[in-house]
Amino acid sequence: MKVPAIFPGAAWRAFLFGLLVLSPAVNAATNDDLFAKANTEFNAGNFKAAITDYGAVVQSGEWSANLFYNLGNAYFRDSDFGRAILNYERALQLDRNHPEADANLRIARDQTHALELAPTPLEKYLNFAGAKSFAILAAILFWGTIILLILRRRKVLWMTIGLLLTASCGLAAYKLESGTRGQDVAIVVEGNVEARVATADSAKSVLALPPGSEVVILQERGDWSYAALPNDLRGWISTKAVEKVRL
Amino acid sequence: MFRRILLLGFLTTAACEIGLADPPRITAVLTSSEVVVGETVQLEIQIDNTRASAITPRAIDVPGLQIHYTGESTQMTMRNLSVSSSITYSYTILPEKSGTFKIPSQTIRVGKDNLQTPELTLRVGDSPRATAGGRGNRTPSGSAPAGSGQNADEKIAFAELLVPKKSAYVGEIIPVVLRIGFKSRTQLRELAVPQINGQGYTVQKLSEGEKNLETIDGQSYVVFTYKTAISAARPGDFQIGPVEEKANVLVTRRSPGVRRRPFDPFNGEDPFSDPFFSMPFAGLMEQHEINIKSDPVPLEVKPLPAGAPASFSGAIGSFTMTAEANPKRVQVGDPITIKAAIAGRGNFDRMNAPELSDERGWHKYPPSSNFKQDDDVGISGTKSFELVVSPNEKLATIPPLVFSYFDPAKDRYITLQSDAMPITVEGNAQSAPSVAGAATGAAAASNLAGTQKPQDILHQISEPGNIVDTFAPLYARPGFWLAQLFPLTLVLGLLGWKVRNVRASNRAALRAARLQHEKDELLRKLRRNRLAPRDYFSDASRVVQLKTALKENNIEPATVDAETAARVFSLDPEQSERMRRLFAKSDELRYSGGGSGDGALTSNGRREALELIESLS
Repeated sequence: MKVPAIFPGAAWRAFLFGLLVLSPAVNAATNDDLFAKANTEFNAGNFKAAITDYGAVVQSGEWSANLFYNLGNAYFRDSDFGRAILNYERALQLDRNHPEADANLRIARDQTHALELAPTPLEKYLNFAGAKSFAILAAILFWGTIILLILRRRKVLWMTIGLLLTASCGLAAYKLESGTRGQDVAIVVEGNVEARVATADSAKSVLALPPGSEVVILQERGDWSYAALPNDLRGWISTKAVEKVRL
Repeated sequence: MFRRILLLGFLTTAACEIGLADPPRITAVLTSSEVVVGETVQLEIQIDNTRASAITPRAIDVPGLQIHYTGESTQMTMRNLSVSSSITYSYTILPEKSGTFKIPSQTIRVGKDNLQTPELTLRVGDSPRATAGGRGNRTPSGSAPAGSGQNADEKIAFAELLVPKKSAYVGEIIPVVLRIGFKSRTQLRELAVPQINGQGYTVQKLSEGEKNLETIDGQSYVVFTYKTAISAARPGDFQIGPVEEKANVLVTRRSPGVRRRPFDPFNGEDPFSDPFFSMPFAGLMEQHEINIKSDPVPLEVKPLPAGAPASFSGAIGSFTMTAEANPKRVQVGDPITIKAAIAGRGNFDRMNAPELSDERGWHKYPPSSNFKQDDDVGISGTKSFELVVSPNEKLATIPPLVFSYFDPAKDRYITLQSDAMPITVEGNAQSAPSVAGAATGAAAASNLAGTQKPQDILHQISEPGNIVDTFAPLYARPGFWLAQLFPLTLVLGLLGWKVRNVRASNRAALRAARLQHEKDELLRKLRRNRLAPRDYFSDASRVVQLKTALKENNIEPATVDAETAARVFSLDPEQSERMRRLFAKSDELRYSGGGSGDGALTSNGRREALELIESLS
């Protein structure tokens, strides 16, 4: 492609270099400004404006636990408890030890009496660590076993134990990712949502889901999603009534 | 093998189904709880979840009612390998006089169980025919076709509406039966599904028509019976019907000359008087469109009386209620499902779920419902509700459920109440109201039941914190797999080092083997005692060099001299001197040019040299 005359020679290269190097920095500065502006609007009681600005930062793809926590607070103040719970959950997905998000999530759930998914016994047992920790541990155990195999041959017992532990950690990471805190968890964000036995508004109701209730999306079919519900139930819910926790 | 496993699985499933089958359950319903003298009503006793036949009474003795057993039918349904069966025993009831009759509870033996039917009430009104001199609102219709030879009074079809009540309450369900009959000699070609029209009430969809052959006033009729139910929407005087219907029929063409004989044992129905037998080829039937119309039935609709209980939501009829809750042990805030079933006869479409008699300390979710009807039009059946509640605090029981309805037979409201359901609630109250300690009695209760002040959320955070760009699990991120390059490089390096070590070790072993082999060969030559002195000393010094190199791996054999050998083998001075002489003699014979040195080596000299070499270890 012929370079326009407005950027001749070195000037064009300098422009490209600047675009490459400085663009993320400029973007970060913009998001920081938006974040600060949203905080100011929140403190001034302009919750809808704060939601818009926090949302713009989210749209940029630069996420943080604090960003979703603040956005959840803005929705809470705007009495949209379903989306408040959704954003607190997102904050906890990014930082499972976020005490403020955890506390506000409980308060928001109390407000709506949102239904929670009961973790499976295996998930309860594995709750001491997250999927991330198990994935790292699996990698360490795997490479440790391989190194042991190289350095100390004929150590079959230790090698078997190492590989079994590696597989266990990998399985634990997978189970946590596909469970009630995994990648298919969604939150009910609309009011008057009912799970039904079939994909029709007139179908028999299975369970009424208050805003903020947790479901696990199992299958999506057009405007309806088949989901695992609290109380070990299954049903179809309107896809637009729920949002997945993970973006 | 697979078939055996499949068969075993099927048998196990079947055994479990039999073992875990629900106990037999009995229900008894009247197809209509109100009837007039001369009309029949059906009593149906249904036994569910049984495969054994039951012992039922052939007749039930109730003064004023003729009750006769008319037959039984069996239904089997299979769903998800679960087979359920039910047997229905039918009785026909013919009232002999008006009044209210109680059909007593019947004991039915099913297998080893004795089941009791509920007591049923049948209200019998006076026959309209008794006052109107005919079959109520039955209207003969369908004039005889011209030229058929039939007189105008001889009608070929009729329609009638049977309504058991002349007065009802707003919202009450009233069963209605529409009967359309055609003389059996006619052949019906077309009959549309009839409709009941009118103002001030709603009509349910008619059931499928039931076809029967009946004899009415000595005439044989094919009668189509349709069942439905109406429900008045407002008070006032209304008319049900009339029902108007058009039908296409084929009518027998009779000869004008054929007259009824004075003594006709078949009353005009003599099959041999059919024109077929007199004019077999003149055409037997001709098609006619006839209008059939019933008389309207008046209905007085009264408003419901005042004084309805708070839990009344519009249910009218006669009902019973059962309730159970699960799970029995929960944490504060956990959901509990209460399953309530309301069975009986009435307007189930207006029935709402029963309510908790005391909602303090409970959070309710919208209930769901399911209706299973026991008859064709949905007047009798069971409506099941699922109420999800969650305790806000530690509680010992779920309060009784209450359900109110209006009983038109008793003209009063009735409130059903279930038993309190004991549960165990663990954990702490979700939000401790600060007023609970100060307030007492009703004030505290109203605070609990009313809106609680929301607990305030924690503050905003001014710093964005660690920025991430994905929610993907760690193992699904490219960075995780890129990071594995580091341990992979380490492992590859270790592997290379290990291989190099092994190869080096192999080289040393090969060198040692080669030196050992050469040393052994030379020693054999030295021991044979056949060598010339120059070769002898040359080989002897070479053996010393090889032995020294074998002991010290890093020494090349060619570089070994007498001093090196003495140091490596730690020789004493005398041996060191002999070693020097050995190397000196070897060098002298090899480099002096003095031939092979014959005669310079005595046997003692050979032996001493050999002893010195062999003593090196």
